Amino acid sequence: MDATQSLRYFGPELVLTAAIMAVLALDLGLTARGIERSRWPGIVALAGAAAAIGSAVRLLRVPAREWLFGRMLVFDGFSVYFKVLLGLALLAAVWMSLGSREVRGQPNEGEYFTLLLSSGLAMLLMAAAANLLMAYLSLEFASLTSYVLTGFLRHNRRSAEAALKYLIYGGVASGAMIYGMSWIFGLTGSMDYAGIAAGIAQLDDPSRGAFFLALVLVLAGFGYKVASVPFHMWAPDVYTGAPIPVTAFLAVGSKAAGFAMLLRFFHFGVGAAGPVGAVTRVPLLQLGTLLCAATMTLGNLAALSQQNMKRLLAYSSIAHAGYALLGFVVFADAGVQAVLFYLTVYYIMNLGAFWVVMLIANATGHEDLPSYRGLAWRGGALPALALAIFLFSLAGLPPLAGFVGKFYVFGAGVERGLIALVVVGVLNSVVSLYYYVRVVKTMFLDEPRAEDAPVHFALNDLAAVGLLSAATLVLGIRFDWLLARVETARRIFAG
Amino acid sequence: MTAPVFLLLAVLVVAAALTVVAHPSPVYSACALVVTLFLLSVFFVALDAQLVAVLQVIVYAGAIVVLFLFVIMLLNLTQPESRPTAGVPVVAVAVGGGIGIAALVAAALRRVPPAGAPALPEGFGDTAALARRLFTAYVLPFELTSVLLLVAIVGAVGLASRKG
Repeated sequence: MDATQSLRYFGPELVLTAAIMAVLALDLGLTARGIERSRWPGIVALAGAAAAIGSAVRLLRVPAREWLFGRMLVFDGFSVYFKVLLGLALLAAVWMSLGSREVRGQPNEGEYFTLLLSSGLAMLLMAAAANLLMAYLSLEFASLTSYVLTGFLRHNRRSAEAALKYLIYGGVASGAMIYGMSWIFGLTGSMDYAGIAAGIAQLDDPSRGAFFLALVLVLAGFGYKVASVPFHMWAPDVYTGAPIPVTAFLAVGSKAAGFAMLLRFFHFGVGAAGPVGAVTRVPLLQLGTLLCAATMTLGNLAALSQQNMKRLLAYSSIAHAGYALLGFVVFADAGVQAVLFYLTVYYIMNLGAFWVVMLIANATGHEDLPSYRGLAWRGGALPALALAIFLFSLAGLPPLAGFVGKFYVFGAGVERGLIALVVVGVLNSVVSLYYYVRVVKTMFLDEPRAEDAPVHFALNDLAAVGLLSAATLVLGIRFDWLLARVETARRIFAG
Repeated sequence: MTAPVFLLLAVLVVAAALTVVAHPSPVYSACALVVTLFLLSVFFVALDAQLVAVLQVIVYAGAIVVLFLFVIMLLNLTQPESRPTAGVPVVAVAVGGGIGIAALVAAALRRVPPAGAPALPEGFGDTAALARRLFTAYVLPFELTSVLLLVAIVGAVGLASRKG
C-alpha cells in the first residue's frame, strides 16, 4: 500500500504527532509571553493521548491486514491491540505527571510533555514495524526520548547518573542489534520481515551459524528494551533515578513495545519459514528457555533484599519480563495470546503500584520501605489497601488479575511441553510472594513510630488508583472479556 | 575495484579505526576518525554510491568530527590521562570473539560463492535516483527521522538549560 492510502490506517500516530507539535508550539507561545509555569502543556498532552487512543480504538474494528508505506509497517489486529495498550500507558503517564510533585511546576515542563508524547509515538511505531529499518529507527527514537526523560529531574544527581547509565547501556545494546541486523540483511538480502523469512528458508548449513549469531545480537537490542537478563543491568538504577511517572511509563510502555517488536520479529521475520520455522533450524528454543529462566530467577532473587520501593518494583519488573518471555518461548499463537494477556494485566497492576508509590512519595517525600511503616494507620488506609491489591496481583494470587495472567502463560508453556520452565516459573512466583508480602506487612502490621508523621491524601488523587484496583479485581473474575479481545489480536500478520 | 586496491584500503581503514580506539590522546583519536570516514567514502565511490560518498565526507568527516574536536578542546581533554587498561582476560575474549566472527564469515562466504551482482539500474547512485527512492519507498523513515531530530533538539535544550 502506498503512502497516501496508508494514512487511513495511521490515525493514532498522526494524532500524536499533531499533539507533539501543539505542545511544542504552546510551550513556545507561553515562553514568549513570559509565563514560566502553566498547566496547559500537560492538559494538551493529555488530550492528545486520549485522542490517539480514540483513533486506535476505532481501528480495532477494521479487519484489514495490510502492509503500510511500501513495506515499512504492517496493520493487523496485533499492532492495533498494542497501540491501544501503549496509548493507555501514555495517557496514564501524562495523568501521573500532572499529579507528580517531581514534574509539576518545573520550568521545562513543556519539553517534558513533548518528550513524553514523542516517546509514546515511537512506541506505537515499534508495535507496527515489520522492517529492520523501521524497527531500528523506532527503537532508537523511543530510547533517545527515554534517556532525556530519565535525566529530567534538575539538581538531582541520581537522575543524571541514571540517564548516563541508560545511555551507555542503550548505546551498546543498539550497536549490537544493528550489527546483527546488518548480518541478517547480508544473509537474506532483505530488510522487510517477509523477505527475511523467504531468505531464511534458503539458508544452507554454514550460514545458519552466522544467522544464529545475528539473532543473538538482535536479541541484545530487544532484551535491553524488555529488561531481560543479561541486558537488565540498567533497569534498577534507571527506575530509581527517573521521575516516578517516567519510571512507570518505562516499566509498562517500553516493555510492552519491546515485546511487540520481539514477538513480531520472531513470529513473522524468523518464524514464517516452516511450522515453527527457524526454531527447529537453530537452537533458538534453548536460548530462549535459558534467557527466560535466568530473567525470572535473577529478578526475583535480587528483589528480595531491596529497601527502596522503586528499586524493588524494578527487579520485580525484570522478573515479570521473564514470565512474559515464557509465552514468547512457546513460539505459537497460544503463546502470543498469553503474552498479550499478561502484558495487559501487568500494565494495570504495575501501573497501579507505581501510582501509589508516587502518591506516597508526594505525601511523605520518601520512597524507601521504612517510610511505609504503619501507613494504613496514619491516614493512608486507602492507598495502602490499593497497593496491597496490586502487590498481591503481581505475586499472582487468586482471585486477582495477575493470577489469571500467570495461569495463561504457564498453561501455554505446559501445552508446548516446557514443563521444567513452568516449574521454575511457579517456584519463582512463590519466592516473589515474600517480598511483596513484606511491603504489605510493613504497611499494615508494623506499628507507626513517633517520628512517622500522619499523611493526607486528597480523594481526587486516588481516583486513578481506585480505577486500576477495581480493574485488577474485576479482571481476576471476568477475564473472559479481555480474553476475547486478545484472541482476535493474537494472529500476527505474516506476509 | 581490484583486489589489491581493496586490500590496501581495507588494511588502512582497519588500522585507522584501531587508532581511534587505542590512541591515548582524544585529539589523535578524532583525527584518526576523519581518516577512517574518508577511507570509507572511497569504498562508497567504488560501489557506485557517489552521493553517499560525498555526504560521508561533508557530514561525517567534516561537520561531525569538527564538532568532536570542538568539544574535546572545550573540555580541555588534550592531556592524555592515565587510564585503566583492560586486563588480559578482556583482551583475550575480545580477540577470540573477533577471530570467531571472522571465521564464521569466512565459512559462510566460502560455501556461498558471491553470485554475479545484477546489473545496476540506470542512474544508480546519483542524486535524482536517491531522492526518488527517499520520497517514495522510504518516505516514512525519512519523515520520522525529521521528527526524531526535532525531538532530539528539544531534549538537548531541555538538558542543557538545567542550570538556569
